[in-house]
Amino acid sequence: MAQHTVDQAPVPAPLGAGAPRPGSVPKPPGRLRRALRAVTPGPTADAGGAALYRRWWLPWLWMLPAIAGTTVFGVFPFLNTILVSFTDAKPLGGAYNLVGLDNYTRMLGDADFWLATRNSVLYALIVVPLMVLLPLLLAVLVEKNLPGIGFFRSAFYTPVLASSVVVGLSWQWLLSDQGLVNTWLEKAHLIRGAIPFLSDSWLILLSAMGLTLWKGLGWYMIFYLAALGNVPRELHEAAAVDGAGAVRRFWHVTVPGVRQSMMLVGTLTGIGSLRVFTEIYMLGGATGGPGGADRTLPFYIRDVGLDPLTGNAGYGAAVSVALFALTLGLTLLAQRLTKEDEA
Amino acid sequence: MRASRLPGSLACFLALALTAAGCGLSGGSGDGEATAGGCKVDKANVGSGALTGDVKGDITFQTTNLKKDFGGYFNGVIAAFEKEHPGTKVKWIDDPGDATFTQRLVADAQGCTLPDVVNINVNTAIALTKNGYLIDLDKKAPDAGEPFVPALWKSSLYADASGTEVHSVLPWYSGGIVQTFNTELMKKAGLDPAKPPTTVLGLFADAEKVAKASGGKYHALLANPQLRIPADWQQMGIKIFSADGKSFTFADDPRTAQWVEAMTKLYKAGGMPRDSLSSTQDPANVFGQGKLVYGPTNPNFLRFIQQNNPTVYKKTGVGRYMLDDLGHTVGAPQYIGTSATSKNAVTAVAFARFLTNAKNQLEWAKDPNVVIFPSTTASLDDPFFQSVKGDDPFAEARKIVASDRKTATADEIALTPGELNAFSAQIQLAMQGKKSAEDALKDAQSKGNELIKQGS
Repeated sequence: MAQHTVDQAPVPAPLGAGAPRPGSVPKPPGRLRRALRAVTPGPTADAGGAALYRRWWLPWLWMLPAIAGTTVFGVFPFLNTILVSFTDAKPLGGAYNLVGLDNYTRMLGDADFWLATRNSVLYALIVVPLMVLLPLLLAVLVEKNLPGIGFFRSAFYTPVLASSVVVGLSWQWLLSDQGLVNTWLEKAHLIRGAIPFLSDSWLILLSAMGLTLWKGLGWYMIFYLAALGNVPRELHEAAAVDGAGAVRRFWHVTVPGVRQSMMLVGTLTGIGSLRVFTEIYMLGGATGGPGGADRTLPFYIRDVGLDPLTGNAGYGAAVSVALFALTLGLTLLAQRLTKEDEA
Repeated sequence: MRASRLPGSLACFLALALTAAGCGLSGGSGDGEATAGGCKVDKANVGSGALTGDVKGDITFQTTNLKKDFGGYFNGVIAAFEKEHPGTKVKWIDDPGDATFTQRLVADAQGCTLPDVVNINVNTAIALTKNGYLIDLDKKAPDAGEPFVPALWKSSLYADASGTEVHSVLPWYSGGIVQTFNTELMKKAGLDPAKPPTTVLGLFADAEKVAKASGGKYHALLANPQLRIPADWQQMGIKIFSADGKSFTFADDPRTAQWVEAMTKLYKAGGMPRDSLSSTQDPANVFGQGKLVYGPTNPNFLRFIQQNNPTVYKKTGVGRYMLDDLGHTVGAPQYIGTSATSKNAVTAVAFARFLTNAKNQLEWAKDPNVVIFPSTTASLDDPFFQSVKGDDPFAEARKIVASDRKTATADEIALTPGELNAFSAQIQLAMQGKKSAEDALKDAQSKGNELIKQGS
């Protein structure tokens, strides 16, 4: 929230009194003032304005809808997941037992879990840097107010609006053996046989990354477009006068100027790329690629824990906790690295 | 002062959340005498002794996505039941049957509010029976099986909590199973549409001829093993489970390896699209484009083709499903279960039996908008099924399925999605040449056993 000074944010008139003079402690009639003092915690001149007349619980009241929502849909499921990860809970039957660390020991010895972890980490390592850089280039490209630029901005943004399933289906058609990409490459005599985009497990993983990138570019481009507006034009002009070309200006003026946004995009895409499911499902099918080799952690959680009839909720929860730890760990690591970089 | 309130509020809030979390976990079995699936229930609903009492009072009845097309039929059945048993009231709920349908049903069961009479599929029947949410009809309504085709009734058995196989559901309608194929493509590949294969491996032998003749322009089958297991194995007479159902045995039969090898050979020969190995492609769509020789085996699919691809429909042939070593077809009918947590079990069972009786089933099967087959002997004996007119693919399918309903059983092996994915993944590796058939099956079996042990 932006900090307003009293001058900028006029406060509503207190009960029965005229508007307070900016910066002064308003003085309501004596009896009311005493009553208010009884319920408001020690006001000082700094607290200023309307704070004097607020009940202590008023801010909590305003926050209640948000707190309730977060509690019901965020905090409770989160704590519940942690608890469930120490049990052998199943979707049906009601009874469950505490099994201590059993789910976690099983997880550590589970080759499928490690494969899923590898895929998820790989996904983050490849997607995050590209997702931080490519949308910035795109934003620089469409930043200038040229005639018709709105069309390109909208076009780049369209994939964001399309549903993941629709986009996934389109990519299936593009990448299949007789799809557009293979047909073009064959017609252009660049390849002899079709490239197995959808049957080779590495290519499925890379194609899924491509899909994530393509779908996210427009979204983060908007972030950068906003950030680019804040890069002082004078810096560009000064650099240009000093003889810096477009590339140099990009690296030495634009990039430092949008650094904060880059950190934000990095964090967001880091979290996002650890949550990938739909892309893998659409391109690799229900097994998660041939042999299940392309499964990511969310995919694996769905496999082991989310079947409504037979899922192993306890084990699924344990893998979910591992995913949470991984996400948190990578985010903290990234922050630390950026800070050291700055220092 | 203000600052000190924050930790306090947070602590309260956290305590609240934790308590709530604890609630979410609670459950466990009650300590009352009569419990089912962790719910307290009427004593008469469980244990031995048939249900007795008057058929009256209110019950709920849940179907899955049938109101739109068959509202008139169901309202008629309900009205007839209420007329026959004055003082009863059936509240019909039609669940849209979307992706979270099973989750909702499970939540109902867990909350001890499963509808009194409920339409379920085989996987749900297995899970609900195992956890005691359905009334054991062997004990509570011992004559319930009489109207049904004996082969079907005898095989509609599921293990209860103690592992005993019981009748917990009434078999309702089924869709049947046939072979469908594109006759034009068959002829191109030198195959005779009048002589479809009679064994599973025979199908693969024919499919290889397709691979040789097609030059990649069309294919025999889609490659994803998920589309074929465990149905192919079961039809070949391979034992998939051990007798006690606690471990898998399919890898011990050399014929399973032969099947994997046949799949691998066909895949490598180009009889299956390479990119369909793990894909979500629907054979109905590929068949509809005229690019697949063998189509889906569900007769209802013929309606889909008729409506969406009339030219392909004209070329579509229908044949009896490969009976192979099993000698008959298996299928999972739709089931009607009665809830053990029902407050009005007598009426619930009465309505379930009324809904599935020969008259009501036949009436629905005659609806020109469906291709379904009843589970009762009397309705299958009706001329409607005994003398089918016409020779379009639809009529052919109806003839074939009607003639096999008396021997068809309901003991279709239902793998959990986890098991199906695990087995398919291993077979995909074999088909890619990354593993031998034997190794893939051995790994699939041990993963399957692990899943049974872990309960997922």
